[in-house]
Amino acid sequence: MTSSTILSYVTFIYFTGFTLYLLMMVMGKKSFGTAATFVSLAGLVAHSAAIVLRWMESYQLGIGHAPLSNLYESLIFFSWTVTLFYLVVEWRTKNRVLGAFVMPISSLALAYASFSPSVNSRIQPLVPALKSNWLIAHVITCFFSYAAFALSFALSIIYLIKLKNQGAGRAGSFLNRIPDSRVLDELNYQIVIIGFLMLTLGIITGSVWAHSAWGTYWGWDPKETWSLITWLIYASVIHARIARGWEGKRIAVLCIVGFACVIFTYFGVNYLAGLHSYAKS
Amino acid sequence: MNATINHGTSKKSGLGIFWRFFSSVKLTIALLVILAAVSVIGTLIPQREGAIDFAMGMNPRLFQVFMSLNLFDIYHSLLFRIILGFLVMNLVVCSIDRFPVTWKLFSYIPSPDKSRIFQDIPTEQTCILSGNSKHILNRIEEFLHKRYGKVFSKKGDKYSSFFVQTGRFSRFGVYIVHFSILLILAGGLVGSLFGFEGYVNIVESDKTDKIHVRGSRQQKNLGFEIRCDRFTVSYYKSGMPKEYKSEITFIVNGKDVKKGTLLVNHPLHFRGITFYQASYGTIPGKKIILRAVMNGKSFSFPVSLQKSVPLPGNGGELLLEDIRDNLVGIGPAVLISILPRHGEKISMWIFKNPALAKSRLPEPMLKSPKFNPSAFRPYTFFLEGVDTVYYTGLQVSKDPGVPIVWAGCVILVTGLFITFFMSHRRIWIRAENHKSGVRVRVAGMANRDPVGLRRHLLKLTDDLRKHVL
Ligand code: HEM
Repeated sequence: MTSSTILSYVTFIYFTGFTLYLLMMVMGKKSFGTAATFVSLAGLVAHSAAIVLRWMESYQLGIGHAPLSNLYESLIFFSWTVTLFYLVVEWRTKNRVLGAFVMPISSLALAYASFSPSVNSRIQPLVPALKSNWLIAHVITCFFSYAAFALSFALSIIYLIKLKNQGAGRAGSFLNRIPDSRVLDELNYQIVIIGFLMLTLGIITGSVWAHSAWGTYWGWDPKETWSLITWLIYASVIHARIARGWEGKRIAVLCIVGFACVIFTYFGVNYLAGLHSYAKS
Repeated sequence: MNATINHGTSKKSGLGIFWRFFSSVKLTIALLVILAAVSVIGTLIPQREGAIDFAMGMNPRLFQVFMSLNLFDIYHSLLFRIILGFLVMNLVVCSIDRFPVTWKLFSYIPSPDKSRIFQDIPTEQTCILSGNSKHILNRIEEFLHKRYGKVFSKKGDKYSSFFVQTGRFSRFGVYIVHFSILLILAGGLVGSLFGFEGYVNIVESDKTDKIHVRGSRQQKNLGFEIRCDRFTVSYYKSGMPKEYKSEITFIVNGKDVKKGTLLVNHPLHFRGITFYQASYGTIPGKKIILRAVMNGKSFSFPVSLQKSVPLPGNGGELLLEDIRDNLVGIGPAVLISILPRHGEKISMWIFKNPALAKSRLPEPMLKSPKFNPSAFRPYTFFLEGVDTVYYTGLQVSKDPGVPIVWAGCVILVTGLFITFFMSHRRIWIRAENHKSGVRVRVAGMANRDPVGLRRHLLKLTDDLRKHVL
């Protein structure tokens, strides 16, 4: 079995995990939650194995390199970090509600990688510019930050749902299983901090790589600029929270905007060229 | 955190207004968001070289507006620099404004004897140590000294108090972060003032001492020469490029001073200037292979530019006058001249692809002997091949700001670690005489991370129980 086949199965395992988390939330049965964790964890193990397998396959082809070199591989890695981060947070906070909001992200990223005709899953050799350890450090740190921001996005959504339905909490409603707003807000902030640190490292390692490949550490290309925009947004989240004492709703909204920037940095930048040609006519 | 300090300036004076404006964190948030917004605009409007096509299709009035705001080079525009300037002022003023408070928090030693803090502490932060109380108190102090350094104590008849702290330097983490931002911006400024960025193409075994400066028509003299000894490209089986490699020699006053191999991602440095492998290409070399067909017999032979060779069959001399990479869009061609033993010199262009030439060239031209490969009877000439040589394309840059920027990055990451993951923990310990020994209670305060503080206090209580005997 090739790594790509395993990964397309993992898509469904994650989807099953998501469904179980959802059932747990709606029906309030703890057993669904336990099953959800178990299924997601099994998915993560298979996912990790597939990544290692893909790495080995690349060596068998004689072009060995870490599986972090194109859109397909980056989506796979993104999904992996999101699931890993989520399971760590679940374990630390002993709360499973977040799963129903995070697992769809993991599952969608994998589904897009595995089933979109525009994403090429072949293992390709590295062009000279991509042969750099700085690039590997860059990709890993960036995707850790993206995963953290994805989690923060999910937390912010939950926060807003909880806020909107405040007082309407009937007994047994899933709203009661969501942690207290303060806890959500604090957890969100912790995760944003980790994401911010990782994004800082990601931008720095990216600059070091650009400097060694092209001689400029900063060239204002759209992708670079969008990662800076994301960084600035989260920097303002941190300042708003620390120095202005903002909490709750406004921070949640800012975190959602921040994640929109992440998504745009990741995918949207590729459409900017299209936008230009549109603006010209 | 919100304490304000008296700077000795009256609130109404100009300096007072200036100070209040720039010491506001609201301004920081606004500036960060504005900077993000302006950057977004820069990614939507094509910048610099990319803007030419876009600008040509624009309404002229709008174009005027764009030009006056420098929207086609927004990251180097006055607007952008003003925002950065405000950010710098904001950072500096904010830091100065808050420093006294931070310094106080850093250096202030509270009284070791505090009662309120021991109210409502969990039972796990209490332990009973049995034995001689005087001995135990000494042991506690010793233990605390070993773990925390300086111990502040107050001994009494009924109970003794101790105060220790850790991580108080983390109070400066924020200043480290902000200083590093200034350093990175300063590095960028140094680079743009004292650096340059250019490029140069060097043909294999050729040398040069001039480069083109990007964004200007000027050439720049490097003060030394660079020679490309060899350029090679290797490919994967699939045809994708695997490696570009230039062997470079630096020459000063005619002497070879340094040799090196230049690869993508592995630049070479010489005299503060850095050379990067950026591109490559080929140009026709100075040698061709020509084939002459004569009475059903065929001869192939090499000819060098501006050299003549005897024609096979002793028909005269053949001189290679010119080599063109692409003549009138038909591809490689060479100009040869025949100097027959008797008669006049004949010159003709020989195309690499005669069929294409026949279909492209107009009828009258084809009739002229200048484009007829059979114009010198009984010979017909064919161009078999043109020797090509590689040139290597180097990006050449000098940026004295780079070390400053890297230093800023390292400091930034260090500062972020300190601010986010370290905290100033203040710990009070009270030891009271108890029936058969001493009852020890541990309590603390921290500027962040209450969970970490609690874990710390539990561990400390546990360690006191284990180690103080
Ligand atoms: C541009 C990039 C900036 C970054 C990355 C940055 C980063 C940070 C960080 C990490 C903190 C610490 C949060 C904490 O205590 O956990 C912080 C706090 C703070 N920053 Fe910034 N900052 C930036 C710009 C600015 C600017 C321009 C100002 C100018 C006013 C500023 C003013 C402050 C203030 C007043 C605090 C709170 C300090 C305190 O509460 O003691 N920051 N910043």
